[in-house]
Amino acid sequence: MGSSKDVKNVFSAVIVLLLTLAIWELSTYVVKIPRYVLPPPSSVIEATARYSNYLLENLLNTLAHAVAGLALAAVFSLLLSLLLAYSEVVREVVSPLVAGFNAIPRAALVPLLALWFGLGSLPRVLTSFLIAFYPILIPTLTAMVTVEKELWEMLVSFGASKKQILVKVAIPRSMPYFLSSLHMGLASALVGTVIAEMIASDRGLGYVILSSTSRLDTPLAFSCLTLLAFTAFSLSKILGVVEKRAVRWAYRVST
Amino acid sequence: MESLVRLKNVTVRYRSNGRRYLTAVSNVDLGVSPGEFVAVVGRSGCGKTTLLKVVAGLIKPDEGEVAYSERFFNGSKKKIGVMFQSPLLLPWRNVLENILLPIEIIGEDPANYVERALILMERTGLRGFEYSYPWELSGGMQQRVALCRALIHRPQLLLLDEPFSSLDAITREEMWVLLESVFLYENYTTLLVTHDIREAVLLSDRVVVMSGKPGRVKTEVEIPFKRPRNISLQYSKEFNEYVAKIKSMLSE
Ligand SMILES: Nc1ncnc2c1ncn2[C@@H]1O[C@H](COP(=O)(O)OP(=O)(O)OP(=O)(O)O)[C@@H](O)[C@H]1O
Ligand SMILES: [Mg+2]
Repeated sequence: MGSSKDVKNVFSAVIVLLLTLAIWELSTYVVKIPRYVLPPPSSVIEATARYSNYLLENLLNTLAHAVAGLALAAVFSLLLSLLLAYSEVVREVVSPLVAGFNAIPRAALVPLLALWFGLGSLPRVLTSFLIAFYPILIPTLTAMVTVEKELWEMLVSFGASKKQILVKVAIPRSMPYFLSSLHMGLASALVGTVIAEMIASDRGLGYVILSSTSRLDTPLAFSCLTLLAFTAFSLSKILGVVEKRAVRWAYRVST
Repeated sequence: MESLVRLKNVTVRYRSNGRRYLTAVSNVDLGVSPGEFVAVVGRSGCGKTTLLKVVAGLIKPDEGEVAYSERFFNGSKKKIGVMFQSPLLLPWRNVLENILLPIEIIGEDPANYVERALILMERTGLRGFEYSYPWELSGGMQQRVALCRALIHRPQLLLLDEPFSSLDAITREEMWVLLESVFLYENYTTLLVTHDIREAVLLSDRVVVMSGKPGRVKTEVEIPFKRPRNISLQYSKEFNEYVAKIKSMLSE
């Protein structure tokens, strides 16, 4: 918890990163790897600067679709886990279907989605939604259905109905799990959007990666990857702050 | 007198590992009169918790029946207060909100019970901790919160399952005094399950002695001490005679 320790950690992480980049930079010169195979960091930075407006535009585009997909996945997972937690019968019928669906490689659905909905936003949002919902659903549902037996019995003794137990205990106790699963969901949503962009779009970083590699402009592709990683990292950090504030109790933090 | 709740010839079996049946309690007759404090003692595994769950309506007996008095349980929801060995507090609720939980469950307005909650907190020495969270309290304090929660809705029947067994000896005695005073103030019908014989003799009007495997009621011992009972009662000769008598019944 000590902030001086935090600073120290960040500092060492930065050092390690810079060192890696330096070794990478040098090795591309020493070993003479062609630029289109492994571009040195300096050329990636250069490409980023040169295409900054273009990259920003496409990054925001990708981000908007990923966030929309994530939001959809979060709402859907929450509602579905409520339904599944409430009814054991529905759970037994629906769970295998959902698990089965999750086993389908979602990338394979993109051409179909494009066929149905064109090349606009919808296939991208849907793909990110379809990839992101499962990692949110499972922890949330598990938390809802694993209310301790003793606690359950106490509530029933007090006269609680199943609905009351769900509202008063299952939902609040699932919140830390739900919120932390959004990290995984966010990463999945970005993957979904980028995949859809690579298959059926003329916009977004996925599209930029595909078109730049086909022109052997590898530095630009690396620039896209770096931007994606940085975006995912920052969003995850923001999510973490929201999480710690919203479910303080789960971390036993006194106010 | 009409019993508040009466177990008639109750037998409970558990299905363990699918096939084998384990008879946890067998042919138990037990009635609790209104305003009475009954303690059930017995060795570990003799079916005390099972019996309590039958009374709470959590387990349906395989044989026999549970009869609740219409006169006392008028209204749709039976009003039962429970307290177990662990406090089972909800970590996302502060102390006051935890205590008011049963009010929300019976569908009344918690705002009308805040004053009562504060009175109970006063009596249990919890004042000033209304807005603390469970993890900020000691084990003994958490158990006191659980006691307040069990009492907040003025239950017709109070069910306690080894509520003080995780506490140290001094805190436990404090809780005895507390329970005795609460019992006197509000005259709850109470069923206490414990394996602490001193606790049973000090607090109850009647001690039900169970034998195990399968659990049966062996005997019942009336405890005649006048109330209010003092903690120093446990040093009297008579008290210790009761304790010794029950102990010898248990080890037979
Ligand atoms: N859910 C269950 N499934 C199967 N068997 C059970 C279950 N609950 C209890 N039993 C068995 O029933 C018997 C009585 O258990 P019970 O919990 O009522 O005992 P107890 O008197 O409360 O014991 P203790 O003093 O240790 O709490 C035990 O042999 C136990 O193994
Ligand atoms: Mg027990």
